[in-house]
Amino acid sequence: MSQVTVLTPQPIDRGDDPRDVMQLVNVRKIYPGPVEVLHGVDLTIKVGELVSIVGPSGSGKTTLLHLMGTLDQPTSGQVLINGIEVSSLSDRQLSAFRARTLGFVFQQFYLIDGVSAVDNVANGLLYSGVSLARRRELAVRALRRVGLGHRLGQPPAKLSGGERQRVAIARALMARPAIVLADEPTGSLDTQSGDGVLQLLRELNTDGTTVIVITHDPAVAEAMDRQVTIRDGLIVSDVVTGGVPR
Amino acid sequence: MSATIQGPARLSPTDTVRVGASGLTSRPLRSTLSALGIAIGIAAVVSVLGISASSQAALIAQLDTLGTNLLQVQAGQNFGGATSSLPLTAEPMLSRVGPVTTVASVATVSAKAYRTSYVPVGVTNGIQVKAARLNLLDALAGTMAQGSFLTKATENYPVVVLGATTAVRLGFDTLIPNSVIDIGGKTYVVGGIMASMPLAPDIDRSALIGYPQAERDFAITGSPTTIYLRSTPDQVDAVSAVVPGTVNPANPNEVNVSLPSDALQARIATNDAFNSLFLGLGAVALLVGGVGIANVMVISVLERRSEIGLRRALGATRGNIRSQFLTEALLLAGAGGVAGVLLGAVITWIYSSTRSVQFVVPVTAVAGGIAVSLVLGAIAGLYPAVRAARLAPTEALRSV
Repeated sequence: MSQVTVLTPQPIDRGDDPRDVMQLVNVRKIYPGPVEVLHGVDLTIKVGELVSIVGPSGSGKTTLLHLMGTLDQPTSGQVLINGIEVSSLSDRQLSAFRARTLGFVFQQFYLIDGVSAVDNVANGLLYSGVSLARRRELAVRALRRVGLGHRLGQPPAKLSGGERQRVAIARALMARPAIVLADEPTGSLDTQSGDGVLQLLRELNTDGTTVIVITHDPAVAEAMDRQVTIRDGLIVSDVVTGGVPR
Repeated sequence: MSATIQGPARLSPTDTVRVGASGLTSRPLRSTLSALGIAIGIAAVVSVLGISASSQAALIAQLDTLGTNLLQVQAGQNFGGATSSLPLTAEPMLSRVGPVTTVASVATVSAKAYRTSYVPVGVTNGIQVKAARLNLLDALAGTMAQGSFLTKATENYPVVVLGATTAVRLGFDTLIPNSVIDIGGKTYVVGGIMASMPLAPDIDRSALIGYPQAERDFAITGSPTTIYLRSTPDQVDAVSAVVPGTVNPANPNEVNVSLPSDALQARIATNDAFNSLFLGLGAVALLVGGVGIANVMVISVLERRSEIGLRRALGATRGNIRSQFLTEALLLAGAGGVAGVLLGAVITWIYSSTRSVQFVVPVTAVAGGIAVSLVLGAIAGLYPAVRAARLAPTEALRSV
């Protein structure tokens, strides 16, 4: 059973529903060139949703992730996270906001070489003013949670791809962020490891975290509860399926 | 929904250092090599300062034992330009001056000293024969290397005491009993060999015999050529002023008075001038080391764009990124500086132990060396750090 949400531009009414964790209102992004990557995207994500944003390469999904992750600002339109308009924040405030509200998982994991798994995970709270001892304690807990309790002291080079991505997920969930943004989290993994990672993200979501997965892989997208399809910088479909295992 | 946005949390100093160090420990070879540049520069500077301080300490120690209160009195030239001589009364007159504690003299003998009588007359080896007072050794704070100095007994007999240089030139490594040399066709028994006398290099190149024997054998008048006198240390200048008038009341201008310790002090000053050249070379090495660190840091920023992007995504501010790379450069340069100071100290130690002089590394060289390397690190790291901080998060994450 699937339910199609009809997309209608909604008036900007911040805070009308406290359950809207992420709101994109007529968001456009033009890169120098000029290349218009997003042509006015409207998207609302509620607290606790497990959403995939799926589309072919060049469709603008990574740009969308950057905007939702406050790593970049839209050329026009508004991005509201927890009711706060991102463009109203200074660079320093945005940094603090990312540290407290957002977690990221990247296709390339971005683990720091030569630093143990525990310390890589502990970096998830490095910029949040938490002491090293406490960070390590939480990191050990997070690594156990992703099933890597036996690999605590290993540097990334000694971990498999799937393990590395689980370390990255542990790092993202360390700070208990409201939203986890995952950019092609299974892109560098074989199917089996990828399924494990998706399962982890689903578990994270069950605990109340809003999870947004960006992917080009329809199978990954279908594993999420809601699939937002983007093509050429526009949302072409937005479907809630409840998620089917890959 | 209303929410106030809090500012970013401050990174603790420990975390700042940890983050900075992580960049270095993950690339140990590169970090070591780039710190080496600074280390070599600092080591050069510290060892130059250390070696010069050590040899100065040796000279100063030597000055301390030899004393700065020795005056040397010699006959100058008279009005017509001929060499004058010191009156016979000079010594007794000088010993009456209050602050003068010791007066000793030597008188040059025209005869020459040879190893044997078969040595050609022209081969004098630059050795002078001098008649010496018995207290000369005390006055010069000299010591005997072997044998004994002239005594009340031996000054009346053909006994000679050799200066350090003289002994070498005549081939006396060790004093064999009953060794003899030839002085002016007469046979003299070698009674002793003196240790080198830095305050009176003339004596090193002399063969000393007793005044009475010299008067007998070589018909000297007893008028001294050079008088050495010691005064109480705080009266040296006053004594030096009255010496000419006392020695030769009729012609005080024909008397030369000098302070042999001035020569040693001049040597200390000469060392300083020589040092600046090496310090300049050390500074060039430091500069090259600093450029090396800047270069490595710029490359590091380029290579670690994704790490910068990740850290920004984790909530690092531009300031956090800037201080991370600055800390990294400071740690790199600081480690180089510490290694350089240690290396410089080791070089100084090797120098001082081979030359058997006191081991001195000036505190200013140690503190200055580390301070200079940190300043260098800060300068070298500033541009790469600013560049890293300016990198937009998306731009940093895009590069793989």
